[in-house]
Amino acid sequence: MNFRRIFLFSIPYVWLLALFLAPFLIVFKISLSDIALAIPPYTPTLDLSGGWVAFKDFFSQLDFENFTFLASDSLYWKSYLSSVQIALISTFICLMIGFPIAYGMANAPQEWQPTLMLLVILPFWTSFLIRVYSLIGILSQDGILNQFLLWLSIIGEPLVILNTNWAVYIGIVYTYCPFMILPIYATLTKLDASLLEAAEDLGCSRTSAFWQITVPLSKSGIIAGCFLVFIPALGEFVIPSLLGGSGTLMIGKVLFEEFFANRDWPVAGAVAVILLLILIIPIVLYQRNEQKMMEAEK
Amino acid sequence: MPETTPDPWNDPTAKPLIQFKNVTKRFGNFTAIEDLNIDIYEKEFFALLGPSGCGKTTMMRMLAGFETPTSGTILLDGQDISPIPPNKRSVNMMFQSYALFPHLTVFDNIAFGLKRSNMPKGQIADRVLEMLRLVQIEKFANRKPEQISGGQRQRVALARALAKAPKLLLLDEPLSALDKKLRQETQFELMDIQEKTGTTFVIVTHDQEEAMTVASRVAVMDHGKLKQVDTPDRIYEAPNSAYVADFIGEVNIIEGRSTTQGDTVSIAWAEGQPEIIGTLSKPGLEGNVTFLIRPEKIAISAEKPTDRRNTFQGKVVDIAYLGNLSTYYVQMPNGQMIKAQAANSRRRSSRPFTWEDTVWLSWTDTAGIILDR
Repeated sequence: MNFRRIFLFSIPYVWLLALFLAPFLIVFKISLSDIALAIPPYTPTLDLSGGWVAFKDFFSQLDFENFTFLASDSLYWKSYLSSVQIALISTFICLMIGFPIAYGMANAPQEWQPTLMLLVILPFWTSFLIRVYSLIGILSQDGILNQFLLWLSIIGEPLVILNTNWAVYIGIVYTYCPFMILPIYATLTKLDASLLEAAEDLGCSRTSAFWQITVPLSKSGIIAGCFLVFIPALGEFVIPSLLGGSGTLMIGKVLFEEFFANRDWPVAGAVAVILLLILIIPIVLYQRNEQKMMEAEK
Repeated sequence: MPETTPDPWNDPTAKPLIQFKNVTKRFGNFTAIEDLNIDIYEKEFFALLGPSGCGKTTMMRMLAGFETPTSGTILLDGQDISPIPPNKRSVNMMFQSYALFPHLTVFDNIAFGLKRSNMPKGQIADRVLEMLRLVQIEKFANRKPEQISGGQRQRVALARALAKAPKLLLLDEPLSALDKKLRQETQFELMDIQEKTGTTFVIVTHDQEEAMTVASRVAVMDHGKLKQVDTPDRIYEAPNSAYVADFIGEVNIIEGRSTTQGDTVSIAWAEGQPEIIGTLSKPGLEGNVTFLIRPEKIAISAEKPTDRRNTFQGKVVDIAYLGNLSTYYVQMPNGQMIKAQAANSRRRSSRPFTWEDTVWLSWTDTAGIILDR
């Protein structure tokens, strides 16, 4: 093997090493430390000038105390569970909204498709933060939505949406729906129309051809879309903290509070490590799905 | 199997399986099929032949139910099929792309249509195995379509389309994706299978050799109209137009003026040249005519033959050597080019003519066809 190839190979590995593995090890180390009123706010810190004795002393002070603490306080596992629940439900809603949109796009006249695609991507042209703030304007007590519904006389008094889990769902679904639409659209446009004709020819009605052919053949897109929504939704921080209320438990929010409100870096580190472990499962499954998709295309 | 006449189209009492009655199909301003009438009989192997865009695929798609005629009716077994959706028709189609379901195994692909019918589960497996045996792909039952070759996929597609024992099987360019050798073998297998199952086959193709080989009757189409519907040998030997003659095989087209004396026709076609003598195929041909003659019916010789009335001298301009045959492009004194074909029964070194040689072309009185112009 020549140097050029080794060099090309090594780029992604160096990238991951420097920007993922090294920070992860630092966070993991912090999660094994104890809180301290110092800068940085944890102990022990490694002092290489102390030699071997100091090194051994450093390791002897690390323990899994913070992890046992996480297990003992119900706030944390409730937050994890509620995050998983919110992420799952949001993913499902995104699928229910995203699939019909993607299906409509894929079946739209050819000349319309680039425009429709642009409309799906358009929200990304503005800052995510601005979009979430504007949702506050829409969902609040005297917001646009309530005023509109009152004007239509559908409701008698304003609905309380902002600062509840409803707002969090709306925020997540709104933000992540494009990630559901795009991979499904990609698989649907590749679907050979003659397959549906063949299914009809062999006795399927339009509806059963959809379930027998369209859905199974867009499976990889559906799975990719679900992961692309579920993974970021699980650790979401901005949406629950801006749109959610005090009752909204999400692990991203807890993490933020541990770091910045409590300044308890070791516990926050432990929360982050566990979150990563939870996320590794869907990420690995997602990777496997991607690989299958690539093999199927060969 | 009940005895059927070998040529039901000549039997006025025979009931056609499919009837197109004044069928027209328009897509916007474009007329794909224009006022078309045709009868196709049971157990026929019927070929729709024509260049791309001639409307043959539209005809097939109307039979399958994917298109409805703009006007006119299509009858299947005497019943108007326009209101019947594709999934309720006893018509199955083998797609040009095969359209095999990539997520299902070969077995499940073939079973797909049976599972939508009310056939009991146990019988489905038997029927699928029967189909697998018919097309000789038992070994691949559990493979996915991507794991088998193009020729095997073609067989799966055929088996899937035949599994429900349709009254009518439509084949859309079924062999176009196969290489030439495999295509020729498969043509004979298709005929075998058609005979074994007794299904009526309608095949769409742009390959005239394929149509001639497999079909009991061939319909030559152009611009949404039928040019001629007849048996392969009649299409070749008795084309009703220069278009059909030119589309099927090679032909020399000579234009001239005819005068009739009894059964013989003399055609004046070039100044200073002897007239072409032919026999009348239908009465009343007088005036401007087209004389059609196939290259293989023209003999080429160095000496003037004495046993034939049609003899013309010309100069060899080009020779297309095809191995078994050679086509000689011979220029007449008036500039008209005539193709003559001769079998290479002798080795090339001893071939009598070469470029620039003066040769005699000759043919018998009945070799050509005379048509109105």
